[in-house]
Amino acid sequence: MDRRSFIKLTAITGTSATLASCGNPENQLIRFVPDEDIIPGVAVWKPSVCPLCQAGCGLTVRVMDADADVVRNGQAGLVRIAAAKKLEGAPDHPVNRGGLCARGQAAIQITYHPDRITQPLKRTGDRGQGQYEAISWENALAEIVSHLDMLEGAGNQRALACVSRGGRGHRAAVLRQFLARFDASAPITFDLFGDDVLRRANALSFGREQLPTFDLANSRFVLSFGADFLGTWNSPVAQNVGYGIMRQGRAGIRGAFAQVESRMSQTGACADEWLPAKPGTEGVLALGIAKAIVDGQLRPAASAGRAGAQVDGWTTGLASYAGADVERSTGVPASRIERLARQFADTRPSVAIVGGPALAHSNSLFTALAVNALNALVGAVDQPGGVSFTPQLDVAAAAKIAGAQATMATPLAQFAADTVSGKSVPQVLLVDGANPVFTTPRAWRVAEALGKVPYIVSFSSFLDETTALADLILPDHSFLESWTEAVPESGSTTAVVSVAPPTMRPLHQTRATPDVLLEIGRTLRRPLDLPWQTFDEMLGASVAALPAASADVDTWTDAQAKGRWEGTLPGALAGSASAPAPSAAAAFAEPQFDGDAGQYPFHFLPYPSNQFLDGSLAHLPWLQEMPDPLTSGMWSSWVEINPATAEKLGIAQGDIVEITSGHGKVQAGAVISPGIAPDIVAMPAGQGHRTYTRFASGRGVNPIELLAPVTEAATGALAWAATRVQIARVGPPDGRLILFAGGMREHFESEVR
Amino acid sequence: MPQWGMAADLDRCTGCGGCVVACHAENNISTVGPDQAAIGRAKHWLRVERYWEGDFPDVRLKFRPVMCQHCDNAPCEPVCPTYASHHTEDGLNAQVYNRCIGTRYCANACPYNVRFFDFFNPSWDKPLQLQLNPDVSLREVGVMEKCTFCVQRIKGAQIQAKAEGRAVRDGEIQPACAQACGARALVFGDVEDPNSEVSRLSRSPRGSLLLEDLGTQPGVVYLSRQTQV
Amino acid sequence: MTHPTGARINADLLRPLLLTSWRFYFLVAFFGFFVVAGLVAWVSQMYFGFGISGIRWPVYWGFYVTNFVFWIGISHAGTLISAILRLVNAGWRRPVTRCAEVITTFALLIGAMFPIIHLGRPWLAFWLFPYPSERLIWPNFRSPLVWDFFAINTYLTGSMLFLIMPMLPDFAVVRDKSVGLRRKIYTALALGWRGTPKQWHRLETAMQIMAIAIIPVAVSVHTIVSFDFSMAPVPMWNTTIFGPYFVAGAIFSGIAGLIIAMAVLRKFLHLEDYLHPVHFENLGKLMLVMGLLWGYFVFNERLVTYYGNGPAEMTVFRRTQSGSFAPLYWTMVICNFVMPLVLMGIRRFRTITGCVIASIGVVIGMWLERFLIIVPALGAKYLPYSFGVYRPQPVEIIILIATFAAMSLLYVLFAKVVPIISIWELKAGEHPAPSLIPPATEEHRLGDLKL
Repeated sequence: MDRRSFIKLTAITGTSATLASCGNPENQLIRFVPDEDIIPGVAVWKPSVCPLCQAGCGLTVRVMDADADVVRNGQAGLVRIAAAKKLEGAPDHPVNRGGLCARGQAAIQITYHPDRITQPLKRTGDRGQGQYEAISWENALAEIVSHLDMLEGAGNQRALACVSRGGRGHRAAVLRQFLARFDASAPITFDLFGDDVLRRANALSFGREQLPTFDLANSRFVLSFGADFLGTWNSPVAQNVGYGIMRQGRAGIRGAFAQVESRMSQTGACADEWLPAKPGTEGVLALGIAKAIVDGQLRPAASAGRAGAQVDGWTTGLASYAGADVERSTGVPASRIERLARQFADTRPSVAIVGGPALAHSNSLFTALAVNALNALVGAVDQPGGVSFTPQLDVAAAAKIAGAQATMATPLAQFAADTVSGKSVPQVLLVDGANPVFTTPRAWRVAEALGKVPYIVSFSSFLDETTALADLILPDHSFLESWTEAVPESGSTTAVVSVAPPTMRPLHQTRATPDVLLEIGRTLRRPLDLPWQTFDEMLGASVAALPAASADVDTWTDAQAKGRWEGTLPGALAGSASAPAPSAAAAFAEPQFDGDAGQYPFHFLPYPSNQFLDGSLAHLPWLQEMPDPLTSGMWSSWVEINPATAEKLGIAQGDIVEITSGHGKVQAGAVISPGIAPDIVAMPAGQGHRTYTRFASGRGVNPIELLAPVTEAATGALAWAATRVQIARVGPPDGRLILFAGGMREHFESEVR
Repeated sequence: MPQWGMAADLDRCTGCGGCVVACHAENNISTVGPDQAAIGRAKHWLRVERYWEGDFPDVRLKFRPVMCQHCDNAPCEPVCPTYASHHTEDGLNAQVYNRCIGTRYCANACPYNVRFFDFFNPSWDKPLQLQLNPDVSLREVGVMEKCTFCVQRIKGAQIQAKAEGRAVRDGEIQPACAQACGARALVFGDVEDPNSEVSRLSRSPRGSLLLEDLGTQPGVVYLSRQTQV
Repeated sequence: MTHPTGARINADLLRPLLLTSWRFYFLVAFFGFFVVAGLVAWVSQMYFGFGISGIRWPVYWGFYVTNFVFWIGISHAGTLISAILRLVNAGWRRPVTRCAEVITTFALLIGAMFPIIHLGRPWLAFWLFPYPSERLIWPNFRSPLVWDFFAINTYLTGSMLFLIMPMLPDFAVVRDKSVGLRRKIYTALALGWRGTPKQWHRLETAMQIMAIAIIPVAVSVHTIVSFDFSMAPVPMWNTTIFGPYFVAGAIFSGIAGLIIAMAVLRKFLHLEDYLHPVHFENLGKLMLVMGLLWGYFVFNERLVTYYGNGPAEMTVFRRTQSGSFAPLYWTMVICNFVMPLVLMGIRRFRTITGCVIASIGVVIGMWLERFLIIVPALGAKYLPYSFGVYRPQPVEIIILIATFAAMSLLYVLFAKVVPIISIWELKAGEHPAPSLIPPATEEHRLGDLKL
């Protein structure tokens, strides 16, 4: 073709192409100018801290560019943002050493959750209907400030209450400070599967009101009473790290492990020896072992020291715990007790762990004290391969604020009872990081109590059962968008203060709750005199007080870069050992079970599920779809039943059964499980949310509803393994039980689904 | 030329499932939802098998993480009509998504059942798609997918090493599953390098291959769980 | 029985072409409805996603591959009747050959749809075709699926030739007997057939060559289809018996299909004078032989597996014989072995009705056999944690029904356009041309057939 035609052709095609692309405006998304510098395709790694459980594992977050949908000035478009893409364990973090559990891996879905509350909401319809309208932060803050001013004006500051997750980190300290300066009561904390009983026992036995840390990596024999320490209990990732080394990390040395529980947990599956003991008798077994050790001249009883003195009968030879008596009480054969005792005393270092259902009975304090004494007996306390306590930063001291509240926090059960009865009804209730409507037994009537509170404010990012009762929602950032921090209570032998800046900018119109509290404090008519303007200022002040690793290192800068400070705490900043009030030595008491054994023949065991713990993580789709380690269940609730029991009751795999306690009933599909005692049925906790985003709402059933309000006397902790139930078959499988696995056994049998 | 392999120590594995979720997060595996999961469409490239042994109270439970074994004699490779499943020079069984026409013969031929099919086009409720890993392709309906030993991480490390003018170090490449594991049950590396940790572990007397007598020559060595009384 | 004259033969066999009753339209509409339903189902599958079928982890083949093997199997009717019987000079085959060849061609066409229907991305099926692509990549010739592609296409080509060539003289008959548009069409179709000795010679030679050539093709086709299974290390698939087992099963189901088709045609096209009970009896005896052979293969396979006692194999074995698939399995045994043995073995039951009942049983039984080869094994491969249960979904069931409707529809349309009994072959049996056609012996005459 000649030049003229070529130019003509180019002009025509070029013009038509341009015209074509000027077509439908709806088809073209505007790309806004990015707010931040990020090189496309190049990842940067930023530190963070996982907030999902009390372990406080360190994270390193992969941040890369992504195109987010935004609306600016009414125009929809895309903007390139720096987005968190993947969470990994921080490689050298003293707690998790680079590992990260399934829940931590899924935590990133919190930030990108489609049902996240993206801006402040004010209730429009009736309470509980879930009708809210969006309001601005200015209006939202003005509203809460006016409510608080009203309280202060009426001299009724004690009418401000708070239900929170608790914890010993800086965020909890800010919350406590806020309430303390307001002259309100201390935050009410409630953790369904928490370990208040263990903390109290540790205070009595060792002077440390704290969760224990286990040096599994150096241990040669681990005896665990009910603790799911490789799954959900205490500091699971740290414990997994130690366990791996204990097994195969030392040339020629393999640590042994025995688990005592009546329902095989994920942890129990890893044990070399698995012993079912009758519910509530784990302490008896521990003392039976102790007695065999002492009687066998393997260790003198006196080596248990203070911990031994906490147990009634320790100094007089533990007469009630002879082999035959213990066998009768626990169901564990005397010969096995003898052998375990020998193994526990001779294989050094050895360590005993107690947690989970063993500490969920009315007599659990005794159980914990018994196991503590056993540890002390074999010299496991503060020794390599044994149990110790993580030196913990005293946040109040470091941040130079007032310490513990003048008043002790009210237990949640009492708070609910007082509110329902009208004895003490708060006027304003703040809810932060807790969902007590879901995680408490119906018998405690928490929902009813909240119904009586005139004004409820929630900082939650999701509309869960408790937040659905709120009048005002001030959504927090997700943790990846926030300053994160943790002061781990356990999991590390050295003191750790984790702290990290936000890994990405907020996606939505949310605000960091600690900063919101600080701003509210400033905006009150009588402003609270709080030491810092922002949360990161507080963190900076606290960390700057810590000793630097070397002379030329600025602690705060270094901590932000690494995601943590670790080292030796100066005495002034370390949490001090508590000296609890002397109490009488604890004796074994028969565990109390709610429900007549004739009418309710089975023990009910709701356990923290690997995926959701107490239900707080049911909204994350990866966790819903993750097959349960034991049953392979996905997106479901189920009831675990012993095969012999199932056969007797005519229950086949997948049949729908109804579990009834004296306080409620639920229905779910049955899973036949050889790893559960014939007189026990178990259900995972976590499903059964009435409302909790599209992934969890209306899914499964909540076993917590059935629980009887049996408590442990000394701490008031809920004895969640103390409920008895009845089981009945309701019908054939109806598709609600979803299992990933086909067969249960490796060597082919008749098909079991 | 490195030959990639993995060692899975069943004495360290605690069945926690962190590896399973890490794999989903790294490889853009779409969540299928409860209705689809109920009819067997969930795509767990890596799964932790569990088997009961015995009866109460003398009962045991064993965990075993199973992912694509990257067999040297992979039965899935000769049967693919379009070469979508083929063996690479560095010992990986590669799945080429855009060559796959979805006959699913490879999945039938795989004795480990580690191959998964995309029954629908994947979708992510916004803004969950912001989490997607840009280094891993999204798969459309009708193709097979499976564990790749995180080939994007392998390639990434090799590119990085080349840019820095050095060799890839042992332990530098960690698939998502191995990285997540706190107990260090999964170890990945070059089995051609006698000094690599995976080689050392593969030589362990506890080592065995899954379904070895089928002749697939899998690239994953399982170190058996020990017992101790 | 009188010997129909040539004129009578023409009249009877051309009547369906020349006269159309309401029944024809009704049948076309009826079968057409189900065929359209099947097409809608398939398009839905491509539109909404393959997930609307029942395929799942790890049972990745189900109804579609069952249908594929089943219909390719049915297609072996033609080869047996036309080719084998032609080669052994069995004169009673004459009224039956075209019915059989039609079944072959249409069953192949239907069966060959399924490798495309069952694909995840069927729009890329053309990658199975060996063409020089810009990516410099060819199909994987080591894959049994690629062998399927070539084998089925070869067999289809051969069968179509085998079908169309002998239609030429009949088209000529229709051409000569019709007027107007019809005459024009059939003139074109007849390709200038004039019935000269040279043309007859060419036709006969071609038929002989095709008859010899098509038999190994047929054997290899179903053997290659069996390789789709035996080449995979699936318990109870990786067995050497599949090749001959599948071929025998194919011929078995083919005869059954043929008997049913013949019985239907005989009734509805009033071909009682041409399709005699003895034809059915002979086919029935053949079916009995194939049934016994089938039983022999199944017994062989099962006994060897049982003695081998491999754990994985025995899991699948038990699943089919005593587990969840047992009802289907024993139904299959009754349909494929017991019923043919009783109905075809006892002379009194070997009537046309008896043959048809047995054949329907065999068709059902053979479909079940394909299903039971595929699904129980895939759901129980080696690692029990990964076992699964397949549940067919509506789209698969609709397509299955649509295939039977399609076969029927194609048959109805064919019978409207081409004489369903080969006119010239029938006449040749009666009056053999002097030197070119092997003489029909007395026994091969229509009427007093003694075998």
